[in-house]
Amino acid sequence: MLGKLLKHEFRATGRIMGPLYLVMLALALCANVSARVLDASRSRLLNVLGGLVIAMFVIAIIGTCVMALVLMINRFRTNLMSDEGYVMFTLPVSVHQLVWSKIIVSTVWFAATFLAVGVSGLLASFRLAYVDDFISRIGELFQQITAYYAINGAAFLAEALVLAFVGCAALCLLFYASMSVGHSFANHKTLLSVVCFFAFQFATQMVGTLGILGLGDIHFVWRFSNMAAIHTAMAASIVSALVYGAIFYVVTVLMLKKHLNLE
Amino acid sequence: MSILECKGLSKNYGSVTALDHVDLTIEPGRIVGLLGPNGSGKTTLLKLANGLLTPTAGELRIDGLLPGKETHGMVSYLPERTCISTWMTVSQLLDFYGDFYPDFRRDVAVEMLKRLNISDSQRIRQMSKGTREKVQLIMVMSRAAKLYLLDEPIGGVDPATRDYILSTIIGNYNPDAAVVISTHLIADVEKVLDDVIFINQGRVVLQSSVDAIREEKGMSVDALFREVFRC
Amino acid sequence: MNWQFDGGAPIYSQLVGQIKQGIVSGAFPPGERLPSVRDLATEAGVNPNTMQRALTELERDGLVYSQRTAGRFVTEDRNMIEEAKRGLAAAQIRNFLEAMTRLGYEKEEIVTLVRQETTEEGLQCQF
Repeated sequence: MLGKLLKHEFRATGRIMGPLYLVMLALALCANVSARVLDASRSRLLNVLGGLVIAMFVIAIIGTCVMALVLMINRFRTNLMSDEGYVMFTLPVSVHQLVWSKIIVSTVWFAATFLAVGVSGLLASFRLAYVDDFISRIGELFQQITAYYAINGAAFLAEALVLAFVGCAALCLLFYASMSVGHSFANHKTLLSVVCFFAFQFATQMVGTLGILGLGDIHFVWRFSNMAAIHTAMAASIVSALVYGAIFYVVTVLMLKKHLNLE
Repeated sequence: MSILECKGLSKNYGSVTALDHVDLTIEPGRIVGLLGPNGSGKTTLLKLANGLLTPTAGELRIDGLLPGKETHGMVSYLPERTCISTWMTVSQLLDFYGDFYPDFRRDVAVEMLKRLNISDSQRIRQMSKGTREKVQLIMVMSRAAKLYLLDEPIGGVDPATRDYILSTIIGNYNPDAAVVISTHLIADVEKVLDDVIFINQGRVVLQSSVDAIREEKGMSVDALFREVFRC
Repeated sequence: MNWQFDGGAPIYSQLVGQIKQGIVSGAFPPGERLPSVRDLATEAGVNPNTMQRALTELERDGLVYSQRTAGRFVTEDRNMIEEAKRGLAAAQIRNFLEAMTRLGYEKEEIVTLVRQETTEEGLQCQF
């Protein structure tokens, strides 16, 4: 059943993200062309147009990233908290499956957006002399770092990816929990959801800050070498994201099971 | 085993009592009218049967089970409002119902849609309100469920659509299934019902068969309703 | 078939009356196969259980019979249909007489009025 939920989630969200990616990629190609034109031409008009296209491309990237977040929030709201909820919550699936389908799809779209932005970036700068140069320099730098730190560099990358995934999921759940609580009230649902969001945000910041201060009190931490410290920090971030995620997950599921208010 | 059973079922919203110690049983093969004025608790009862609300006291069982994932597979629910996703096309909606409900009879739905000249590629968004309601009804009635819960299916539609909805309900009749129609438009629906339940201010005031009311009281259910719920 | 229902009498008994009328008037000819319970119920806009009850009663009266796999049929016994027709007529006449009596007419006056009405329409009337 979760698979079917995922199928229909991707159908519902892909019809918005897909076109956005296409627009972004198309503008990337245009930006590439513009950059070459800007390089080669002396005309004022062409320069302005070229600059405009590149600006639009940058806006498209920002827009797509923002849209991914907005879509994820809005999808939860329209599909589970409004009229469509009458259909979704009477399906032969558990509330857990409903929430997981949303988390998985949102995280996948965040990752896909990241990749799409990367690809557009590459497209936009494809075979442009100075960019190629820049990239090969970065490549050298990276090789040097990994040669020196060997496994650590790769491990760091892996940890960063895990943190990105877990962090995205935890972020989604922060929004979902806020909306679930906000919508359980009869009036001022949106307002209360926003209030909840800030309250939860504040709580996590507080706990996070206290945690870091607390860690600082543990003396042996200062004895760690640079690399070990970085790994510890990464591990701690991942664990805390998991904990936040778990707490918000429990809040979300509890609210949806016991205090669902679909008026 | 009765398909729907309530024992001492109560539901409060804060200080407001929506349902007050409701006892009732619904057997398979019966078309039952849940009749009462607005705010009498009809919708609350249906939502409890769907697991959209949890009882404050007492219990409600569908085929002996508490409302949940398993009962959702047995119950086909028509909400008062149109709740199907508007971005879908008719064919995607058919996929949706077919994917989640093993008892969904796609051929029956396709036939009903064809008779109404609704094409597969039409988007729900593009349809008029009346057509959307009919599409939702078709999806709900095309399931071979054990219990159909229809919340105000004929309120707010024109008389021709009303006839269509009622004949769809009759035509879909299955002696192993029960249909609960919650409405306040009694005259239109009376001929279709086997039994009626009068509900007022969260309490069951009467549960009887339509025949018994006509034979014993010599009046139609509509007339009795007007008497019982006189303002 | 023009299905009409009113409040008061149970629907199944009204159905019995209407189907009887259909048989007597020829809408359901003798020996004709009746539609399925569900189709009849849909046509009449009534609950299938109610229609079933009406048909069972008609079977008991002998106007309708069922063959296990083939379905339900109108009786071919024309005498039975005649009898049913006479029964319906008698009920109509009873109602008519009651209504006229309520208006204050005596029996002889009623007969005279009927003769007048029917003669005006050029019909023959036998009393």
